[in-house]
This record gives sequence, C-alpha cells and structure tokens, in this order.
Amino acid sequence: MEGEPFNLVIVGGGTAGWMCAAACAAKLDPALYRVRLIESEEIGTVGVGEATLPQMKDFNDFLGLDEVEFMQATQASFKLGIEFVNWGRQGDRYVHPFGTFGRPIGEGDFFSYWVRAHNAGQAAPLFDYCFPIVAALQNRFMLPNGDKNDVRNAFAYAYHLDAFLYARYLRRWAEARGIARVEGRIVDVERDGRSGKVAAVTLASGTKVAGDMFVDCSGFRSLLLGGTLGVELEDWSRWLPCDSAQAVPSVRSPDFTPYTRSTRRPAGWQWRIPLQHRTGNGYVYSSADISDDEAAATLLANLDGEALAEPRVLRFKAGKREQAWAQNVVGMGLAGGFLEPLESTSIYLVQMAIMHMLTLLPPGADIDPALPAEFNRVMDVEYDRIRDFLILHYIANDADAPLWERVTTMDVPDSLAGKIDRFRHRAHVQAYRDGLFGPPSWQAVFVGQGVVPHAADRLADMLPGDQLAERLAGLHATIARGAASAPLHADFVAHYCPAPAP
Amino acid sequence: MSGAVQRVVVHGGGIAAPMAALAIARAYARLGVEVAWADTGEAPAPHSALVAPSDLATFHRLLGIDDKALTANAAATLNMGQQFAGWSGGDSAFLHAYGDAGSAYADLPFVQHWSRARAAGLRVALEDFSLAAAAAKEGRTGAPDKPATRQAVKAGWHLDAAGYAALLRTGCESSGVRIVAAASATPQIANGRIAALDIDGETLSADLFVDTDGKLVDALDPSAVTPGRPWRDRLLRASAPPFGPLPLYSRVAAHAAGWLTLVPLADRTALEFHYDSRHLADADAPAMLAALTGQKLEAVLEPVAATARARLWTGNAIALGRAAGSAPPLDSAELLLLQLSIAQLVLLWPLAAADMPEADIYNEEVGGTWSRVRDFTAQHFRLNTRSEPFWADARAAPVSPELAAKIDLFAARGLFAHFNHEAHVEDGWALVMAGHGIVPRGFDPQALRVEDQALMAEFQRQLRAVATDVRAMESHADALGRLRA
Repeated sequence: MEGEPFNLVIVGGGTAGWMCAAACAAKLDPALYRVRLIESEEIGTVGVGEATLPQMKDFNDFLGLDEVEFMQATQASFKLGIEFVNWGRQGDRYVHPFGTFGRPIGEGDFFSYWVRAHNAGQAAPLFDYCFPIVAALQNRFMLPNGDKNDVRNAFAYAYHLDAFLYARYLRRWAEARGIARVEGRIVDVERDGRSGKVAAVTLASGTKVAGDMFVDCSGFRSLLLGGTLGVELEDWSRWLPCDSAQAVPSVRSPDFTPYTRSTRRPAGWQWRIPLQHRTGNGYVYSSADISDDEAAATLLANLDGEALAEPRVLRFKAGKREQAWAQNVVGMGLAGGFLEPLESTSIYLVQMAIMHMLTLLPPGADIDPALPAEFNRVMDVEYDRIRDFLILHYIANDADAPLWERVTTMDVPDSLAGKIDRFRHRAHVQAYRDGLFGPPSWQAVFVGQGVVPHAADRLADMLPGDQLAERLAGLHATIARGAASAPLHADFVAHYCPAPAP
Repeated sequence: MSGAVQRVVVHGGGIAAPMAALAIARAYARLGVEVAWADTGEAPAPHSALVAPSDLATFHRLLGIDDKALTANAAATLNMGQQFAGWSGGDSAFLHAYGDAGSAYADLPFVQHWSRARAAGLRVALEDFSLAAAAAKEGRTGAPDKPATRQAVKAGWHLDAAGYAALLRTGCESSGVRIVAAASATPQIANGRIAALDIDGETLSADLFVDTDGKLVDALDPSAVTPGRPWRDRLLRASAPPFGPLPLYSRVAAHAAGWLTLVPLADRTALEFHYDSRHLADADAPAMLAALTGQKLEAVLEPVAATARARLWTGNAIALGRAAGSAPPLDSAELLLLQLSIAQLVLLWPLAAADMPEADIYNEEVGGTWSRVRDFTAQHFRLNTRSEPFWADARAAPVSPELAAKIDLFAARGLFAHFNHEAHVEDGWALVMAGHGIVPRGFDPQALRVEDQALMAEFQRQLRAVATDVRAMESHADALGRLRA
C-alpha cells in the first residue's frame, strides 16, 4: 500500500450507514483508508424501534462500546426472545428464546428426550425447560452468571433500542474517531466510462465526492446498487406477501417485558418493542388484505399505552438484491434487501455485511473478483436461511383469514420443502455452522406453532423412562427456582442502565 | 416401538463391514437390535496400512476399542499429520499437521498476519508457527499442560490394516454380532428393497442391510454407480523395515508418474507406490520403487479403478466403504468417510422398518461430506507444480465449484470459504494450501492496525512459544510406551 489512501464513501446515514462508519473507524488504519459518510438532513431515516439479536452485543464489543453507556444513549432494554401470540392457533403463545432447551441428559440431544417424554405424557411444555423463557415470561432479567454448570448461564441476550438514537450515538462515536460526515443530497452519480464503476457522486451543492469504493446505505431507494448499477431485487413476495407496515410509538406500559412480542392478525402481524422511554409498535400487513386506514385503526386499537404520534406508513417488498456487492458498490441494510422484522434480523444483516466487507475490502482500486464472490456467497446464505425461517412462521397456522389461507397452502422454496416432514417424522433439524438459525430456533417455532414430532433420535431411547421423568422434573424445578431468583426487568434496567428522559 | 428395525445384516468384509457391525451392535443391541455380519471373507490387501484421522479416537469409544488394544494388535503408531514431499518439484516438503496454524492475534486468525508479513518479505513458512507441525517434526507428541501457544494438537493413528480388521472382528464377537461366512450371497429383492440374503443353505432376512461389498446395492440400484476419478490406475504395496525412531507422520512423496506413501508402523513401514500406467510401464515400476526407497522389496500389484455412487442409501440398504465409492487415496479419507458415515447412520437410525425417510437426510449429509472430502484431496493435484505429463494432467483436471472458490479465496485473501459438510478444519486447509505454495495476494485490512514492529515481536514470541511447548512434550516412544502399559 503506497501513496494515496483508499477512498471509501458511505452513502446514507441511517442505522446501517453509521454502523458501517463506526466499524471502519474502529478497525481501519486512517492513514490507509479514508472513510467519509454522506447524508442529508432533508432525508429522514426509517429508524423505528428496533429489536435485535444477541449478535448485536458482539458488534458493540467489536467496536469497544460500553454496554451501560450504549443502553442509556439508546433508551435500550434487554431482550431474551420473541413472544409469538396467536401464531399457530388463535390464543396460542410461545417464546422463541436466545438459548437452548434443557441440558445434556445422555447420548441423545435434549430435544429428543423431550419428544420422547412428551409423547409419553411425561413432560412439561418444552418452553418450561428453558431458563430465559421462564424468566422472561415473569418479566425478570439477569445477565448470564458465568457459572457454566448453572442454568442461569445458558443463554444469550439482545437489546430493544431506538434505532434513530443508536445511529446518532454511533455518529458521535465515529466522528470523534475521524470519520468525516459530508452533508448533502446526492443529485448525480458519475460512472467510469470503461469499467462502469461508480466514480463519484455529486451533491446538490455541486460538490463532487469521488471514491474507490461506495457503500450504499441509502435505504429502500438503493441509490447506487439498484439505481445506478441496475442490480435487480430478487422478489420473494410470493412467499412473504406483507408489503406495508405502520409504526407508532406509545407510552411506556407497566408491562416492561424483556422480550419482543409479535401478535398474528388477520392481514399480517403486530410488533411490540418495549424501550425505556416508550413502547414501539407496528403492524406489518399485506395491502391486498387490508386498507391502510383499517390497518391503522387495528394498530391503534391494540396498544397497551396511549399513542404518541400518528401511525407512519412504510412500503416494501421482500427480497434481496441479486448481488450485494457489484462493481465497487456494496449494498447494506435496506439498500441490499428487505426481510420483514418478524425475527429481528435487520440489524444483524447489516452487521454481517459490515464484518464481511471489512475482511474482504480490497487494498486498492482494483478488485480481486474472489472478494465480491465470497461476499455475495455468504450474504446469500444469510438471506436465504432467514427467508426460509420466516416462511416457516407463515405456513404453520390455522387458515383463519384469506391471507392465512393463501400462505398456509403455498409452494415453499425447495430449501424449506421437506424440512417440515423431516421434523414431524423424527424431530430432525439440519445443523450448520454459519448463519441463522440453529436447531433450538427451529424447535421453538415448530413446537410453538403446533408441529410436534412423532418421534426422535433412537439414541434417546436407552435411558429408562422413570429416570428420564426424574431428570426432567429436576430440571424443571431448577429452572423455575433460577427464574424466581432473577430481578424484575424494570428494576434491573432502572439500576443498571437508566436512560435520561428524552 | 412397534415396527422398529429389529434385524440388521452387514454384508462385506475388510475394515468397513466389521466396523459397521460393531458400531451398530454397540449402539443398538440395548434396544434389542440383532446384528449379523455376512462375511464375504474379503481381507485387507497384503502390506496395507491405514492412516486414521484424529477424530477416530472419539469414534473408538463407541466401538469400545482402547489405545492399548491398538498398540498391541495393530502395530499402532501416533499420527500427527501427513507430509507432502516433492509436490512442487525438488525436495520441498510440508506437513499437513492436525492442529492450529499459528495462534490468533489481535482478534484475527494468524494466517492474516502471516499473509501480510509474507507480502513484506518474511520467509518463514506458515507451518513453523504451528505447534502440531513443529512437534511432529521434532518427534514430540502429547499435549503440554498449559501451552504457551494456546494451540490445539491432535493425533490419530497409523494402523496395520490386517491387525485392525482382526481387532474389529474380536469386538464383533464379544458384542453379540453373529458372524456368518458368506463368500457368495444373493439378495432377494422386492419392491425396491432387499428382503433377505441367500447364503449357502441359509436365508438371512433383515429390516436393514448395510453393504460394504457392493453386490447388494448394485443389484438394488444399478444405475447409481458412475465412474469416479482414480487419479492413477496402479498401486504396488510393500513393506520395509520400521523407521527408527518412529516418525509421527506419514509421508507422501511425489514421483514422475504418481506418488509414494510411507506409513510408519511399530514393526514395519507400509509402502504404497501409486502410479499411472500411461506414464510408467508396469515392468518399470518395481525398479522405480527400488530406486526411490533404496531397497529391493517384494511388492504386490493392484489395479485401481474408481467409482462414485449417487445414492448411498436406497430403500432399506446402505452402501458403505468401497460400495459407497472410491475414497480419495490421501488425507485419511478412507477412514474419515467410514467413520463419519457410520456415525451418521447411528444418529439417524431409522425409526421404522417399513419406510425409511431417513435415507434422504443421510444421502444429503453423507453425500455432502463425500464431496468436501474429495475436494480436500483434489486440492493437492490441482496445486501441484511439477512438470511431468502425469502432474500436468492432474493439475488440469476439473475441480468442483466449491474447491475452485476455496482456492480462489485463499489465494486472494488467506480466507476460507466454508460450505456445509466440511470434514476438515480451516487451519488444515490453510496449512495445505500454504504448503503447496500459495501465498495469499492480500489480507484482511484490519491486520494493518498492528504496527510492523509489534507484529515482528509477536512472531518471535510465537516461535519461542512453539519451541517451549515442543520441549514440554513427550517423545513418540514414551507416548507409545505409556499407551501400551
């Protein structure tokens, strides 16, 4: 690396843009990589209340953020999982946790033992064997206690946060570490005549910002990746038909849950995300099945606190760009693809794109084709796996409204077909090393939505039945005791990371 | 459980059949499963030896075979890696050791720092930072208590094939496997399944058949077999006196028309002289073997062909070992595949005798494993830089898209493209690709946060730590003595 530093330009300053900028500030040598972020105060960000996954803690640790400071700055609360209400059948509820079920019992895995005992009428509900679920449903929270023999250690946690505040916090953090913010609206994009790469963007002021590489964080517009380079969206709306959402904050409720809630509704589903200063709510729906006005009315009728604003409408289409990295443009966040927030994967996908991009960043203007090839391969794996897992939530339901009649009878992607039969037959879930989601997640959604296996691995059949029943009863009691020992989530947050009133 | 698999017949010989029979009996006899081994009498080839991967230690617990039995019956020595010599021409050699390739530093894999330093002129090989590689070359093994390198070191075995087969047979006998001599057996096939096996004067019926010979699955599913890539068409096997002291690794030395594998056993050295008859006449092969070894040896010639099988489990029959296809000739592939396949079968043990949807899952998982294991061996041939026609052909042979992506990415960035069903760890791939001469063209720019001087100091610290840890390890002889006791 000689001469001029590598010129990296981030286009757009929402959550994705500032996460990317902060990561560059933390991990790239400023003498070798010049990083600028262009954003316009005229353009709003989507920034609704966000629910996240435990990997977000890894990202903050990667940057070196202080957890308490971060939580205070973003009005954050803790998250142990997602509660799904009315999914499967009306009146049902289950929690998809950040943790595994049970503990090792013998040669088989815990879930196989549970299936066996359940089918023999000798088990409590699966979710009672999961410490974070039992604690969460009592609105209790504690940090993992570090003792690997204790059930109160076998879980991970995530955050609920205000994504707008998170972007603002990261902006301060990144600017303090040398990332230059360029104010302005992009009015023109210049391409290199020979290579077709993006050479520069021109701002309304007439200023031209040139770069070796551009990170497109421009949101749904996908200004450079979709717009300039014409990379098409791979349309997944035939499997994920929701195309609209309305979001509205409400007054914080006394029910300060350490979990996100997703409630199935006739034309989609409603989210509830508890923050310290308010509760974030939204209705994700299929516009073919409900009008915007009706959706707004449904949303407002189902809040557990007074609405603090008028609902805002968002439009989208499920899918991902055919290439997340094309030429010298990497798309992140909504510019790279959109999957509805049913499993809180938006920030996770941004994080993965950032981590892979940092590792694969070219040293100069010439891009070794192996680098985008690997980036696109791993991002495709991430998107495809999340897509299939989301579709799973849709297909295992009572067909109790037109939308649900359609999605419960549709053809599913090849990668998902067969998984359901295999699970029913013998509780089989394929495990893989990279990407979301692991076997416990599939087990939670399957069982939670009424798909219970007929049988499981025969390795779990060796243990005598009375011993198995005894082990399960012991574990059940240990988890119940452990959960009761955890403080209330509201008290824990008030003590650990109280945020100032906004 | 009604309709459960109650009777199993394993058909074949060699290593695969008794290993499968023993594993199934040890796992499922407790559920009332009866295992019969229809023994075709196939014995391991004369002089043959096995290179067993490090994971086999865990697998042996399922089989109920301990270290002492291996040293007493199979002339076992410890296997810490495989050395490749002359694959880039000349005397160049590298070790694919079973352990870490350097210690992670500054939150990045060591390979990233090494790639950066190589670009800046460092001459030290990647394997010099690997404790497993350094220890193996110094004749040291075992695990130091608190390694200064914090690196993992793993060991498998070198085994005499005939002794190991005998050990597996003994295991079968004491685990309730019924052994039936079945030099010729004819399957009764109905509705896409095997109903029974007719053997001289007896009919063995079963719910599930495991075939390591190929005759049963060929009859059931003849269209599933396609030609594979043998890499060479001839193999001469021989034995030479044991090395002293015993090395902790096998050696795969390239020659003009193939390669010579030396496997150190406690009482002899097993030799496999692989060659291609298009490039070396059969009449000339013994002389070349003698020239390479400096010894005149009695050798046994074996023609080599290769097959691949599209569906490993069809109906109620599972192809295993040779019947499943030809294992790649290097990298402990034969035992690795056998062990992973049997472990998968034990895990996916079918719930019902009448219908086995497990077959699809097994075929996906184990089929995927075969592909990745084939890739691992194919990389040696792809990356060789010898000039002889045999090697030029080997280099030009097509590779899977997955292997192409792995090589491209490692060459570009020292990174590992991870697919489903990988059977080898990242650092194993890195040691082999770097050993074959790939120096990544670039590296993770996060490595540049480390100052040059700090990096040099870290490299020196790691090299010292490797030396310290090696000194704290035991000799091969001491380790074998301890295992024999």
